[in-house]
Amino acid sequence: MSETTQATGVIHDLGYRRYDGPRLGRAQIVRALIWHSFRSSWGIGRGVKAKIIPILACIAMLLPALVNAFAVSRGNARLFGYDVYSPQLRVIVITIFIAAQAPELVSRDLRSHVLPLYFSRPIRRGDYPLAKYIALTAALLLLIEVPLLVTYVGTIASAKNGHAVWNETKALIPGLGVGLMWAVLMAAIGLVLASLTGRRAYATGIVAIACFLTWTVSEVLIQAEGGMESTSAGARIAGLFSPFNILDGIRIWLGGTSQGEDANPGHFGPLYGVVGVLLLAACLGGLAARYRKVSRA
Amino acid sequence: MTGSTGSEAVIETTMLTKVYPGDVTALDGLTVTVAPGVTGLVGANGAGKSTLIKILLGLIPPTQGQAKVLGRDCQTNAETIRTLLGYMPEHDCLPPDVTATEFVTHLGRMSGLPPTVAKERAAESLRHVGLHEERYRLIGTYSTGMKQRVKLAQALVGDPRLLLLDEPTNGLDPAGRTAMLELIARIGAEFGISIVVASHLLGEIERICDHLVAIEGGRLLRADTITSFTQASQVLAVEVEEGLAQLLRELKARGLTGTTQQDQRILLVPLGGDDTYDLVRDAVADLALPLCRLEQRRHQVEELFRDEEGAAHV
Repeated sequence: MSETTQATGVIHDLGYRRYDGPRLGRAQIVRALIWHSFRSSWGIGRGVKAKIIPILACIAMLLPALVNAFAVSRGNARLFGYDVYSPQLRVIVITIFIAAQAPELVSRDLRSHVLPLYFSRPIRRGDYPLAKYIALTAALLLLIEVPLLVTYVGTIASAKNGHAVWNETKALIPGLGVGLMWAVLMAAIGLVLASLTGRRAYATGIVAIACFLTWTVSEVLIQAEGGMESTSAGARIAGLFSPFNILDGIRIWLGGTSQGEDANPGHFGPLYGVVGVLLLAACLGGLAARYRKVSRA
Repeated sequence: MTGSTGSEAVIETTMLTKVYPGDVTALDGLTVTVAPGVTGLVGANGAGKSTLIKILLGLIPPTQGQAKVLGRDCQTNAETIRTLLGYMPEHDCLPPDVTATEFVTHLGRMSGLPPTVAKERAAESLRHVGLHEERYRLIGTYSTGMKQRVKLAQALVGDPRLLLLDEPTNGLDPAGRTAMLELIARIGAEFGISIVVASHLLGEIERICDHLVAIEGGRLLRADTITSFTQASQVLAVEVEEGLAQLLRELKARGLTGTTQQDQRILLVPLGGDDTYDLVRDAVADLALPLCRLEQRRHQVEELFRDEEGAAHV
């Protein structure tokens, strides 16, 4: 039985120290969570195993840029457009990256039921998924844009004059914009799918299957309709089945100069734009709804 | 250096009601005031303890009524309240693949501590709960007792004014329970942090609490200081080898009431004061009965509730 009837305030020899210093506000806490999540998406602060896939993904994505730098230095023209980079490689690497790292960001916390600890702290319930989304978007941006910048640097290193540099810069900027579009949409898709389950292996499977399967289905449909040269409506809208082809369709609709691999939206371009925005909204809405449910549980 | 908020209530609820979808009433007009110190929140599973804690944390809104923590409204001031609260959930909430230090540091950051302060306070909190060198190990390698300590440390890291501990002795063995309870009592007494401990085990919780709030079916059963709970329950147990009925009559003549227990050999006499001992001694001596035992006993609070529920009076 306790003899204390009041908090006595005796300082124990171990010395509990009060903290009266500054406390960070909600915005700064969210920023700390974004930084923490961004680091985890590269496996920083985790074991060695967690770093394997991010590192391999980076190397794979950088290869075309390095090959290009070598080729340009030998007097060749730039090997690919900034707005497409190496399309199939990009699809595969991005899929693997988000399939591995989106669960790292969200499934772990679901699995170990850490969320009540976050929600009992001074953040709002939407802040957690928002922080995770920003972190994964930033990670994807890095993965997509750095190879573009390496391509750019590799190309202008052999540029003959200022005019050539200016042309390269003009070509680069839309490429960076396309990269941003990819990061924004694919991060949302990856997170909402990964947040469906706390089991990491399942989450990875769901993301990988969703990305590859839709891409394959879309490709098959496009081919069945006569390929991307075909002007049939079927071939034009078949790209809508895959987020990657939606992104490429939007790129072409917005005036992308490079020849794409697959989708060719033709005059369905605006439809690609609308579907892309709806898909993004649905994913973000789904993510928010997912965590509204968790915080009440 | 007292950390107490004076005589001001740390928790105040007024007609707090929570009805979940599907007409499940978790709280039913709960009005209770919790003073600073260590308070036990007791009730059977499903009595509404966890629902009350979630409302206090501002995680769910009440259907009706009002709740205030440290003088602030839980609905309009939830974020401020959460900077002042430390919460230890009932269930497992620790990732296995990080070290305790990393985990508690991160949650210190999430409580709004600057980076270096979070690191320092994480190390201190872990030391306070009794984790020393082990704190650099992965949490997955910890025993249940150590995990409970990490859960407590993460609640403590942000220097809260009030700790909400939900079944902190869950899953612990008897020794672990005792250690955890001692730790909680020490935090309450020496760190100057008010604590609300939710538990379904009254006998356990009464050892460390200053106050007790008992709820059942979402309603307040009783709220009082632990001493007033236990004062009424002091009894003297008298065991004689024979002549129990005789003794009972004799005591009645001397103005004492006694009740016999199931085994019919022990007489329980309400303990009024020191003279009760004298009266019992004299009665036994006068009757020349063979006395085997004379000891002071205390009802567990649990029994008190059982009596009250049965008799429906205080």
